[in-house]
Amino acid sequence: MDLRKYNIYFHTHTISGIIIAALLYVIFFAGSFSFFRDDITAWQKGRSAVSEEIDADYNFLMDSLSRNYNLRGRDFGFYLLRQGHGTYVNMSPSKDTTISKPRKEAPGRGRGRRGGNDDSAYFLYHFTDKKPVTYTEGYDMGEFLYRLHFLAQLNQVPIRIGTPFGYLLAGIVSFLFLFALITGLLLHWDKIVSNFFLFRPWSKWKTVWTDMHTALGVIGFPFQFIFAVTGIVLIVNFVLISPFARLLYNGDQEKVYEELEYNIPMKAVYSYRPLPGSFDLNGLVSDWQTRWGKSPVTRINIINYLDSNMQVLISSKPHPAESFAGSGYALVEVASGKVLQQKSPVSDTHYIDRVKSALYHLHFGDFGGKPLRIVFFILGFTGCIVIISGIVIWLVARDKTATPRHKRVFNFWASNFFLAACLSMLPVTAFTFIMIKALDVVNQSVIYQVYFYSWLVLGIFLMAWRNLPLMNKITLGLSAALCFGVPLANGLYDGLWMWNTYLRHEWDIFFIDFLFLTLSAVSGFALWRVLRDAKPFKIIG
Amino acid sequence: MRLNKILAGSAGGYLVMVSFHVFLGYLLPRPEVMATAFFSGYILWAFLLLWAFTTRHIWRLWMIYLALTFLFLLPHILKITPLYGS
Repeated sequence: MDLRKYNIYFHTHTISGIIIAALLYVIFFAGSFSFFRDDITAWQKGRSAVSEEIDADYNFLMDSLSRNYNLRGRDFGFYLLRQGHGTYVNMSPSKDTTISKPRKEAPGRGRGRRGGNDDSAYFLYHFTDKKPVTYTEGYDMGEFLYRLHFLAQLNQVPIRIGTPFGYLLAGIVSFLFLFALITGLLLHWDKIVSNFFLFRPWSKWKTVWTDMHTALGVIGFPFQFIFAVTGIVLIVNFVLISPFARLLYNGDQEKVYEELEYNIPMKAVYSYRPLPGSFDLNGLVSDWQTRWGKSPVTRINIINYLDSNMQVLISSKPHPAESFAGSGYALVEVASGKVLQQKSPVSDTHYIDRVKSALYHLHFGDFGGKPLRIVFFILGFTGCIVIISGIVIWLVARDKTATPRHKRVFNFWASNFFLAACLSMLPVTAFTFIMIKALDVVNQSVIYQVYFYSWLVLGIFLMAWRNLPLMNKITLGLSAALCFGVPLANGLYDGLWMWNTYLRHEWDIFFIDFLFLTLSAVSGFALWRVLRDAKPFKIIG
Repeated sequence: MRLNKILAGSAGGYLVMVSFHVFLGYLLPRPEVMATAFFSGYILWAFLLLWAFTTRHIWRLWMIYLALTFLFLLPHILKITPLYGS
């Protein structure tokens, strides 16, 4: 490789890397925990979703809803949780104008737009305790970390640019990440074979960090590349969809989503004639569930409830053991019982299914059970290590006597800030896990306050020392202690000691305790080694 | 100069990437092309961005990107019917 190209790769890699470093760390860290989102939810609620059989009683849900609302003429969307133990429910106002008051403008379609002044509703419903909870009440740590990993919390920053600020930022970060990955690989290309397993842990610090950055970066490259690409698609795909819609579909975005099978059109109009006879949603769902076998029902959409033009759309995703790719659905006209459209989740798989399934499965890591998620979690943490080592390499490479002092001071404070923000995440996460067990009421705002304020306080505290090795020791110590506190808190406050959950086969709850115990042990071990062996180093004399 | 490179790579690269896939959409079934673009699009864009940094002649690259965009958009400008579907 000629020197000019090498320098270009080097600079573009460095600049794009350091710009996104802190945010990418947040994304990787929270994203890694999100692989265990369902387990975290179960852990927080103290209610295992895997140890008991779930009986999804939709009729009961509709009955209890009808006590508070007149359901005729409404549309419903049920978005089932991954383990099928509950569902998000979206209920529209009735299309019957004698039931709902007509509104002037058409309701905004699309995800995320909820509420308003009509009597629509959006809530979370668990089949086991048969009680609806609002979204903010049902908000838990799993949801928090999941949403943090695409910076959803930043959407509240009042910057109006036509798209949620946090999502856009996450999209830009992932695109720059993709760019940094490519330049990083090209930069390291000549040494990729010779240095593949090169670790020199007893050398000087800069060598240790460089080895860490390049070797782990190369080993993790395929994983990180997949996550960069799929991440961009999942968060900012409008960048692609909207020009396509304009140029190939005359601006008809609905049509694009239909052709990509994101939504199956349900076009029946409200007829004001009641449905003859009664309607049994349980029967309909279980009928299709038997036909589809192991492939779980993932979504149910109903339009014109109890009208003679009522239609039900049941969607399914194949069980990964049967088929990696696929999507199934059945569109049923209720009055006649006619199946208008159907597609098997397992056998009718086409190219678009394959692309989309690859996209989702690879990003969510939901095709190989828990072992795969654990591997993905470790690879995700490896990404965090690559980012941290990248920041310190960036710092020490610029900390030379030839560099003007004000630049060195700036570089130091940038790194000090980045590292404080990054390294405090593990103790802050563990602390929040403990607090959600200790506090009586836990909802969205409580989690926000505990997490973000403790992050702020610990971050400022760490920066104030102006001492990176000490920061490392403090965070390792805090991580070891607080992670150990997580299973402790679960036992003390909820009586869910690890031996109890183990004996009751509540594997999801047990797993989270086990995970934090492991993290505590790893942090403790690292701290011990650092205290015993680490050679001191100093930035700006 | 550096800003020009960033602009050429991101905006110019984006135009080439989108127009290229639109062009494919005239030759091949459109939904399939779009789904493929989920992967190929962003990777192509990242390389087009990199090209803007490695080239020695940034204005020539601008010309190339704009010319390619124009070329790929020809079927759309001339309102040619796509081969698959309406």
